[in-house]
Amino acid sequence: MQVGEVVSSLTFRYIAKYVTVLSASVFLVLGAFYLFFSYTSFKELGESVVEELDTLQIVYRGQGLEGVEQYISDQTASPSVNRFFYLVTDASGAKVAGDLPAAPRYQEFEDGWLGFEMDLQSWGESVDVDFVALPVALGDGYRAIVASDYADIVERAELVFHTLFRVMVATLILGIIGGFFSASRALDQVELLNREISRIVRGGPGQRLKIEGEAGYFRALAIVMNQMLEQMETLMQGVRRVSDNIAHDLRTPLTRMRNDLSQLRDKDTPVEGRQLERLIEECDDLLSTFNALLRISALESGSRLATGSEVELGALLRDVVELYEPLAHEHGIALELDAPQPQRCKGEADLLFQMFANVLDNALKYTPDHGLIRVQLRAGEAGAGHSVIISDSGPGIPVVERKNVFRRFYRVESSRTEQPGHGLGLSLVQAIAQYHHGTVELRSNQPGLQVKVSLP
Amino acid sequence: MNVLLVEDDRQVADFVVSELRAAGHSCVYTVDGEEGLQAATRSPFDVMVIDRMMPRMDGLTLINTLRQSGDNTPVLVLSALGDVDDRVQGLQCGADDYLVKPFAMAELLARLEVLHRRVSAPGADTQTRLVVGDLVMDLLRQHVQRGDTVIGLQPREYKLLEYLMHHAGQVVTRAMLLEHVWGYHFDPQTNVIDVHISRLRQKIDKDFDYPLLSTVRGAGYRLGAALAD
Repeated sequence: MQVGEVVSSLTFRYIAKYVTVLSASVFLVLGAFYLFFSYTSFKELGESVVEELDTLQIVYRGQGLEGVEQYISDQTASPSVNRFFYLVTDASGAKVAGDLPAAPRYQEFEDGWLGFEMDLQSWGESVDVDFVALPVALGDGYRAIVASDYADIVERAELVFHTLFRVMVATLILGIIGGFFSASRALDQVELLNREISRIVRGGPGQRLKIEGEAGYFRALAIVMNQMLEQMETLMQGVRRVSDNIAHDLRTPLTRMRNDLSQLRDKDTPVEGRQLERLIEECDDLLSTFNALLRISALESGSRLATGSEVELGALLRDVVELYEPLAHEHGIALELDAPQPQRCKGEADLLFQMFANVLDNALKYTPDHGLIRVQLRAGEAGAGHSVIISDSGPGIPVVERKNVFRRFYRVESSRTEQPGHGLGLSLVQAIAQYHHGTVELRSNQPGLQVKVSLP
Repeated sequence: MNVLLVEDDRQVADFVVSELRAAGHSCVYTVDGEEGLQAATRSPFDVMVIDRMMPRMDGLTLINTLRQSGDNTPVLVLSALGDVDDRVQGLQCGADDYLVKPFAMAELLARLEVLHRRVSAPGADTQTRLVVGDLVMDLLRQHVQRGDTVIGLQPREYKLLEYLMHHAGQVVTRAMLLEHVWGYHFDPQTNVIDVHISRLRQKIDKDFDYPLLSTVRGAGYRLGAALAD
């Protein structure tokens, strides 16, 4: 794997951002700590200097200049490392006591604080040391200065600073290493996914991604992609079945037409009108098959009914029944309509009419002479919507076939030869029902078939 | 009948033109909307057949333009767009009839003749009495009789006969009957209309000297003394 790939990977960039934010926050926290540490150290130092000045003032008030001199010489004699340095001057500014030189070069800070540098003898060496000092008037023109060096504070602050710097560097390094590893891990998985998908692309349908490794985003992704492949395969099979069926159902009439035409060509006698009529009729049948197919596709692929006008289902069903009544009468079939009250529903009248006409058409085809067909309009089961139940006394449809009959060109084997039709009627019924956000259900009428169309 | 055909599909156009001429009509053919508009404004036509989707100017724009310029020549839209919305859109912009591709030539011819007749015989809608041979329909009293025999009809049979009598002598297709007598655009799977026609025939033709209602094979029906034509 190329380093460039890693650097340009999304995970790496994410980690880089993460490390930046992390180091910035570490820097802020540690910086605040450093400032706080220095501030309190200096504050303590200042307080101790003020305290020492107070002591000097008390000693002066109690024991006079001698007492102060005595106190200072006691203090300076002790070998303490962090001891104070003193200077007492009289009104003329001449040194009277203390171990500081008479007039070091002061630098003035705020609140009367002074700062200066002085060489100290330490371990036999001369060391340049920084001091802070505060002067105070003792009285009678005497002034005292107490000074303290702060080399130790600076030292400790430096130590803290270096520690903090190392912590930051360590955080950055660890963050970048972690980022590199997780980025390359993610890249590995993407690479794997890439290889798997290429394999599927090459191998054609029926293949699935291997689902392995621990639960995680990639595993979930693989599962979802497999579901998608499954769906695509089902759809493809559906398309293939439909085109197979189209080929099968259209081949027969086309072959017949071809034979008729070649017969006509070979014949010397003038063309018989009847033969031509039959050819035209077959062409019309084919055309109507294609029309039905196109209508179903248009209904299924288009958006569903959005703003239909209101249709009174009772009146619509009366129209359908009235249209088919003479046909039923011819076969001695009783056609009953039971629509007790008007029910209005949103829809397109032409499509709904087509749907009920198709169902009724089927019912009439399969109901034996002197049978009974009943059309009922009821309110929906949940109190809302409408249901239209068309029951016949025909042979019905076996349970195993009930799902299949909605498929395009599917015909129950026994009816393929016995009844005319292109096997699209129920597909269109379902397409129209679904277009209206409704459903079609096939049930047994014991004996016979019950088609229940539910509309919202 | 003088027909203007505006259609960009040359194969469809050639077929329609040759069939129209075979049926004895004259036909001018243009391949797009702009040419169609020019042709329509140059000389008058009896009816126009206009495709919807065409280069340069679509059919609906063409019809709109014609209607706005005061041209009320009957127009039949010929289109592959067959949804209810498409049909409504077509009729709203001024078309008089709408036929979806693929179509049967007999259907197109029948519809064109009806459109033509509507214009050439104005006032047909305000008639109170329809007469075909010895068959008489009194529209005010809703009374039908043939010769001296009074014929009792169901309401739908009456509407069916009324439509046929309005278009006496013309071929009327099954789809036209469904549209105008039943009021629905739909595609019956069986010969359900034929049964209605044969019922009507039982009442108006049976037991009379000569039949009035004849079947035109591959097209539809015609009311009138067909054999005498």
